[in-house]
Amino acid sequence: MAWGGDDDRRPEADEGQEELDETDYKTQKDAVLFAIDVSASMLQQPPATGKKKADTDSAIAAALKCAYQFMQQRIIAQPKDMMGILFFGTEKSKFRDEAGGRSGTGYPHCYLFTDLDVPGGDDVKRLKALVEEGEDADEVLVPSKEPASMANVLFCANQVFTTNAANFGSRRLFIITDRDDPHGNDRNAKSSAAVRAKDLYDLGVVIELFPISHAGKTFDVSKFYDDIIYRDPAAEVGSPDEVKTSKAGDGLSLLNSLISNINSKQTPKRAYFANLHFELAPGLTISVKGYMPLHRQAPARSCWVWTGGEKAQLAQSETIKVDSATRTVDKSEVKKAYKFGGEYIYFKPEEAASLKQLGDKGLRLIGFKPRSMLPMWASVKKSTFIFPSEEHYVGSTRVFSALWQKLLESDKVGIAWFVARVNANPIMVAIIPSRNPDDETSETPYLPAGLWLYPLPFADDVRNVDLSAPPRPADELTDKMREIVQNLQLPKAMYNPLKYPNPSLQWHYKILQAMALEENVPDQLDDPTIPKYKQIHKRVDGYLAEWKEILAHKAQGLMESRAVKREAEEEDDEPPTKRAKPAAKKAAGSAMSNAELKAAYEKDTLKKMTVAELKDVLASKGVSAVGKKAELVEKLGEWIEENV
Amino acid sequence: MADKEATVYVVDLGESMADCHNGRDESDLDFGMRYVWDKISTTVAASRKTWTLGVVALNTDETDNAQDCEGLEGYENISVLQEIGPMTMSELRDLRSLIQPSHSHGGDAVSAIVVALSMIEAFTKKLKYNRKIILVTNAESPIDDESLEDVANRLNDSNIELIVIGIDFDDPDYGFKEEDKSKAKRKNEKILRKLVDQCNNGVFGTMAQAVEELAIPRIKPVRPFKAYDGPLTLGDPSKYESALSIHVERYFKTKRAMPPAASTVVINPGRGGPSQSETLDEDTEMGGTEFSGVKQMRTYRVDDPEAPGGKRDVDPEELEKGYMYGRTVVHISDSDMAITKLNTKKSFTILGFVPFSSYSQFINMGETGIIVAQKHNEEAELGLSALIHALHELESYAVARYVQKDDSQPQIFLLKPNPAIEDDFECLYDVPLPFAEDVRSYQFPPLDKVLTVTGSVIKEHRLLPSEDLKQAMSDFVDAMDLSGFDVDDEGKPAEYAPIDDLYNPTIHRINQAIRARAVNPEAPIAPPAEILLRYSKPPEKLIQKAKSEIEALVDAAEIKKVPAKAQGRRGRKEPVKPLSGLDVDALLGERKRTTISIDNAIPEFKQILATAEDDATVESAAKQMGEIVRKLIQDSFADLFYARAAENLRVMREELINLEEPAMYNKFLTGLKKSILRGELNGDRREMWFKHIIGGHLSLITQDESEVSEVTAEEAKAFAT
Repeated sequence: MAWGGDDDRRPEADEGQEELDETDYKTQKDAVLFAIDVSASMLQQPPATGKKKADTDSAIAAALKCAYQFMQQRIIAQPKDMMGILFFGTEKSKFRDEAGGRSGTGYPHCYLFTDLDVPGGDDVKRLKALVEEGEDADEVLVPSKEPASMANVLFCANQVFTTNAANFGSRRLFIITDRDDPHGNDRNAKSSAAVRAKDLYDLGVVIELFPISHAGKTFDVSKFYDDIIYRDPAAEVGSPDEVKTSKAGDGLSLLNSLISNINSKQTPKRAYFANLHFELAPGLTISVKGYMPLHRQAPARSCWVWTGGEKAQLAQSETIKVDSATRTVDKSEVKKAYKFGGEYIYFKPEEAASLKQLGDKGLRLIGFKPRSMLPMWASVKKSTFIFPSEEHYVGSTRVFSALWQKLLESDKVGIAWFVARVNANPIMVAIIPSRNPDDETSETPYLPAGLWLYPLPFADDVRNVDLSAPPRPADELTDKMREIVQNLQLPKAMYNPLKYPNPSLQWHYKILQAMALEENVPDQLDDPTIPKYKQIHKRVDGYLAEWKEILAHKAQGLMESRAVKREAEEEDDEPPTKRAKPAAKKAAGSAMSNAELKAAYEKDTLKKMTVAELKDVLASKGVSAVGKKAELVEKLGEWIEENV
Repeated sequence: MADKEATVYVVDLGESMADCHNGRDESDLDFGMRYVWDKISTTVAASRKTWTLGVVALNTDETDNAQDCEGLEGYENISVLQEIGPMTMSELRDLRSLIQPSHSHGGDAVSAIVVALSMIEAFTKKLKYNRKIILVTNAESPIDDESLEDVANRLNDSNIELIVIGIDFDDPDYGFKEEDKSKAKRKNEKILRKLVDQCNNGVFGTMAQAVEELAIPRIKPVRPFKAYDGPLTLGDPSKYESALSIHVERYFKTKRAMPPAASTVVINPGRGGPSQSETLDEDTEMGGTEFSGVKQMRTYRVDDPEAPGGKRDVDPEELEKGYMYGRTVVHISDSDMAITKLNTKKSFTILGFVPFSSYSQFINMGETGIIVAQKHNEEAELGLSALIHALHELESYAVARYVQKDDSQPQIFLLKPNPAIEDDFECLYDVPLPFAEDVRSYQFPPLDKVLTVTGSVIKEHRLLPSEDLKQAMSDFVDAMDLSGFDVDDEGKPAEYAPIDDLYNPTIHRINQAIRARAVNPEAPIAPPAEILLRYSKPPEKLIQKAKSEIEALVDAAEIKKVPAKAQGRRGRKEPVKPLSGLDVDALLGERKRTTISIDNAIPEFKQILATAEDDATVESAAKQMGEIVRKLIQDSFADLFYARAAENLRVMREELINLEEPAMYNKFLTGLKKSILRGELNGDRREMWFKHIIGGHLSLITQDESEVSEVTAEEAKAFAT
């Protein structure tokens, strides 16, 4: 799965507490087949206008660039999901070559350019060559004289999905075309297409249409495509599936318009949990579904590769459990026990299960608080998005909507007890509303409107940081700093994550792509998370210089007043006794015995050792000897405490 | 660093401790030991060498202590059960067998304290320790009160804390008074209280309160961890002289605590099974010696068409590291492994500023940090303070890029000013924000309007709340306010359920159960402490208070539960139509399908069933589908068609459940199982059976899934194995 349903899972499966119960679901994988129309109008270059932002891409080039970007994103974000590209309306026809499959003649004017599969380096390379170099050795992008039969195109897609992604939870056909009536008034052709579309619907394939309109001409879906497209059965009630037409104009190139339409469908909407009962009060329960629109994306883990053969091959690993005598143990022998005082404490399986049974799956409201009452540091993990569902309780949507509106209006949050799945550990959450993305006051125009389950820290999760940081009054420095802050607002006065790709992730896959495609490895990354230093300098250079000058002056003053105070204190006190003692004898650190170390530790005289001695002794104990003196002393202290 | 501890428990084992008092059905000793065992097992759980403890028993039949050996008087019937030292499970076990009521009553509690005190003095010398003596007694045996002052002085000199917890001691603060107290006990209680009062550091309490407080979870203290120590910059100091650089330190403010993890173990070969440990036989021990840990061994295989089963084992020595790029394996030699890691330098630098109003908490991606100025650095102190105040005054946050150390992955942090208005602590808090890749754009319909297919906006709809419902919701939310629902010590309204009071129920439930089992392996698991479930439901008082608002909301909401049956069969009622509303079934009707082809099996199967008018049609369709499944398995090269066969089966199963024809599926599957296990489908197809059918939850349809099924859950389970 592209994203594990549960980030609570810890790396060592053996010690893992949260055992996933997701086997109920169908394989939650996604397969997308791009069906791109190769018509003469799709291939036509946009008229040269000489304007700076004028479109330079033909519709087909834009579609291919989208597919290429989609493929790259898919490899990063959904490495187990499939993708394929089918051209239709081509002069040439091609299906698979493999035995048992049909030959190209089965689907005239359909050209399966990339078969549906997890994309590989070769696929990326071929598509890249076509997109960037226009390398079309096979002359694929030549329109046929007759348009392709849409019934054929749809059945071809049906076969691709049936054989390659038989049990995928999500299967989607992306049709990119500029022809709104491929069959004109040919009633027969239209009905066969409608029948094949129904087949796809029954197969569980969702058709997403990405129409392209050329200057001045609107794409009329009612001419043909309304007979082909079904409402997504998983979609919320009351949401007509919006078909957005891509076109050049409004300062947006065709490519950008298409990319934004396709990107919004990049990830299939997968529910993290369905049919969760949300109990607002005794006697009032509604049902909601949960989603994870925010999820930390990390580079895939490294794997083991066997290079003994002709081609590097992935080695599949299998684990077997063995006991202390390296005897293989059977699954039925294995028991769970807790380590305690150097031994194991055992619970019978039913007892262990009952320990985790602290409440049924569900969300139960216990009351409301003003949003300002959430401490600003109270954050532990990402939030889950919930949205109402009418499937189990009719009327859920209106109640949910009323709650959402009230929370926004009064700036309040709900406090609730939350168990996400059977056997999941209960947590406390704050229920926070998000505004409509098109609301101008929305904090998050890139996220949907609804409610968020924001996990609250438990008392156990809060570190007691006992540092001295006494408050100071605001002063002249504050005033100067205000000017700096005011001049360095982020664009649109907000942090929009979409503008900041993760540099580590981008770099990782850039390198991998270069290696997989056998290209030159790039030496640099365009990283928007690095501040615009030049701009900062330009905008606030003067303020900064002034501020620093005042700071230096004030700091000097503070330092002097402190020194005076210290002296006064020292005069009052008796001379510190420690100083009177003779210096610790100069022993090389590692020559000290454990007993000596312990004695020094207990007398609190470790800090009298020199840095060199400390490093010496730490190294001899196999502890990393990096850090400042205070850290070294602390490390050594810890070592002594734990080992001597 | 956690301080070292030396604690001596003085436990009264006198014969009167075996009696039950004050309506309890456990003896005084068992009652008192609940407290002692809980404390001791907490020490065992920590398994730290520096947390040490010893145990002295009072009123033992024998006498075994250093003072008595030296010939001192008054130390009779006092025994040292365990010298001070770290505590492990085996010591805990030994101790358990020693804690039994005696037949004696002549021991002096104050003498026992002296014994304990000498033990601590001898063990800790002049070193830095938290020293503690905990006395648990019912104070029925006589106490000599002559040398109280000397004892107290010695305790004070050695800096020892004395905690006396008496069974049924009177405690007006807690509200306990024993009515039928014996004269002797009253006198002894007085003496002990006097002793505690003379101590610099003394606690005197009654056992009932101590036992009650055991339920309150104790949070494991964790030392603050410094994650970053370096400059926080604005601009690039290496390029521009004016760029700002403040030396800061960053610590974790929140860090998720995890429940203890269970290890995988096996019963040691050659020893008895678990049934033995469940007997009450004194000799059998619970715990460690019986079990041993399980290790994982990995084997590696690669595809090899020539090997039997299509795979063969490879030697781990022959393997190298690599990554997957899509389905392509990218092999990277060890020396090149670092190449995919972005080179970064440790840094913390501000990108810009955003107003408070542009942020909402739910975009936080994780745990919080706390940022303060470097100690004894006047420039840093003043500089950071100015930044904090400026941000606060402008209601702005800073957005910064954070690299914890060289070559760490960069993160984006939101820095929030805390100008010490509510607390006494001036700092910045930071939370991680999402990157572009972390956001998935899911589309949802609006919540405050309904869009029709034609694009018009509707404001009144069954999916939208009426004015009545909105008003009822508003009243309800206001009535259920928690901000002043609780009462503080001074009787003023206080926040209900503040974070300080939210204990992780899982962690404390498991820990309590482990401790209880370590002390008493035979006892069943007690139910979770009430305090752990306190916030699992709204407070009863609040529900009562908001009763009328709740009722009004329930009325206005008009929620109707969908009957369980209808959920399963939705979609059968009306034929599905495309957006245009075209009746495709009618188109199909012209050439109605009756046969199912292998290429288009699922749609054709569904369509036949959707228009089936008699059982014979259904049966014929199911039969054809079954044949297709068998054929796919039979023709499959290795596992090539298994997924497809399984998907066909899944659809068949689902549709037949909906049509209430489970028997057709069950009959087919029984036959299929036979064929597979007998190897009749062109070779060994067991993988299809176990991985795809059983593993894919495609086994027999049970009565739980379809009322008309004749297969019980047990039968299905037996069938699947």
